[in-house]
Amino acid sequence: MEEGKAHPPEGVFAHLEMLEARAHEAAVKQAAAEQQKEQLARLEARVQELRQRRDELQAKVELQEQGQREQEGVVSDPAQHSAQTVLEWKIRKVKSTLQVFYLTGISGKLSKHGVCFCISTAYEGIYLDSYYLDLLTEPQVRIHRHSVPIFIPMEQIAKKYLQTDIRRFLSVLSDHLNAYVGRRYQADQLQEHFSDRLEGTMQRNSLCNLLVFNYNPSSKSETFPFNARLLYGDLCCSLPTEVVISCAPDAPAALAEMAAAHSDLFRRLALHKAFGSFGSAGEHVDGAR
Amino acid sequence: MDSSLCQAYKDEIQSLEEEIRLLTEKYEANQQESVSFSEEEILMSINSFQKEFQRQSGGHGFPSDLKAELESLETDLSFLMKFTGIQFTSHCKKTVEKTRNRTVQKHRLLGNCHSLSFELEFQLLEMQTKESVSTVITDLSITMESGGDSDVSKFVSRTEKHGSLLTFFRSLSSYAEWYEHRRCTFLHFKAKYPDIVALPDGLRGDYIILRNPKVSRFELMIVWKIHLDEEGRTTPVLDLLTKVPEQVLEQNRATVENAPAHFRSLLLLLGAETAIENLIKALDLEK
Repeated sequence: MEEGKAHPPEGVFAHLEMLEARAHEAAVKQAAAEQQKEQLARLEARVQELRQRRDELQAKVELQEQGQREQEGVVSDPAQHSAQTVLEWKIRKVKSTLQVFYLTGISGKLSKHGVCFCISTAYEGIYLDSYYLDLLTEPQVRIHRHSVPIFIPMEQIAKKYLQTDIRRFLSVLSDHLNAYVGRRYQADQLQEHFSDRLEGTMQRNSLCNLLVFNYNPSSKSETFPFNARLLYGDLCCSLPTEVVISCAPDAPAALAEMAAAHSDLFRRLALHKAFGSFGSAGEHVDGAR
Repeated sequence: MDSSLCQAYKDEIQSLEEEIRLLTEKYEANQQESVSFSEEEILMSINSFQKEFQRQSGGHGFPSDLKAELESLETDLSFLMKFTGIQFTSHCKKTVEKTRNRTVQKHRLLGNCHSLSFELEFQLLEMQTKESVSTVITDLSITMESGGDSDVSKFVSRTEKHGSLLTFFRSLSSYAEWYEHRRCTFLHFKAKYPDIVALPDGLRGDYIILRNPKVSRFELMIVWKIHLDEEGRTTPVLDLLTKVPEQVLEQNRATVENAPAHFRSLLLLLGAETAIENLIKALDLEK
């Protein structure tokens, strides 16, 4: 081996640069590894902290519930609670009662120049849309803003009652809104749960008081022998006033009888419930032949 | 390897934070529901709170808004109660289930609408979907004195079956208004013509008897029924029934037999109070 062989100066520098680069890389890698270790340690610590807090809260809640089971409705000692706590408790209680008014159908709050009413709607136990009415009371009662859809005849109702009897105005408006929402709900439910018995999408207007669709009471068929036309003449009602069920002119008598029976059914029962009563076995309809 | 451990920790942190949030809400809800302060205690707190705060910072700023907030809320509440006629005398609620998307609360509500009192128990389910919060009532139980009115008991059981809390309140409101109107009208006539007007069933009954003390066995009965149909619609129906001794009947058959129809026309033209007043005056003149 030849020691002290002269290396060209470029080679040495290049070698040194390479070493420097490698050292740099190693340093960066080490820094990254340490950073990740630190991050992991931090995360682990946070997890521990949260676990502890969660366990403490859980114990507190269990204690509360145990205490509640043992003594229901005990009036607590006010001296234990600061005035602020008592006030906050009372505020929450009043807010809670105001929320119950929402469930009654008419709620609202006073505004600077009048009242802002909220009319809530529901179908049986399911609460649906709410509508807002901002009323001004000076110099006379008038509607400032509202969220009532235009196809509800609110202007007519207002003309009749708003000046003389606000309560009656709200009551009649509420009847219209609840009936509209009820009709819409029935149509939506029919479309959602019985689409296999309907031919395509049913036709309806925005007020949902005219529905036209072709259907088959049994779900196991390819044809839709019945055409239904439901007219809800009373805008405050969610049952139709006029039902026309028709089938092909050459249809067998049994079909015509069924059409008559259905016509009566749709007049008495909510649409989706009527379809529900057809059953899964279905009233078998021999449509094709 | 390390990065997956990192992710696992992050996931656990997120789920723990969610758990802590739910537990905190549950704790606070339990605190709210288990504790009860009387009105005097609340008033005392308001006063001491205000003094304490004014002492500390010259009475201006953030927490004094608490008192203003309470006053504004109470004004809203008393307005609503006066406007709708519905007063809640007691409201207890208890959170039965609380998860990220579902809250179930049990409510017990006592109150009255004008002079009719009610007691309700129901479960309120709130579900959070992507777009909105849906509210559903289940297990509705209604106690209301029907006063023997079969309409009312039928309506109540139908409403309970479908959980139609909203329909219950709206119908109750309208029924109670008519009930109150009838009660006031009966009271008014009884006070004005104590000798002629009799209320065998009292003010809560649905009829009054008119008789002239000088003419025996001649009675007019005005029946005022308030019908409540299955949908909850209220319809007041007034009718006149006559109790006439044979001889008087023979002499005035046409008049007596037409009396109910005439009463109905009077009702349509003049309204209940004026129609009844007219009848009473006519009776008074009868010798």
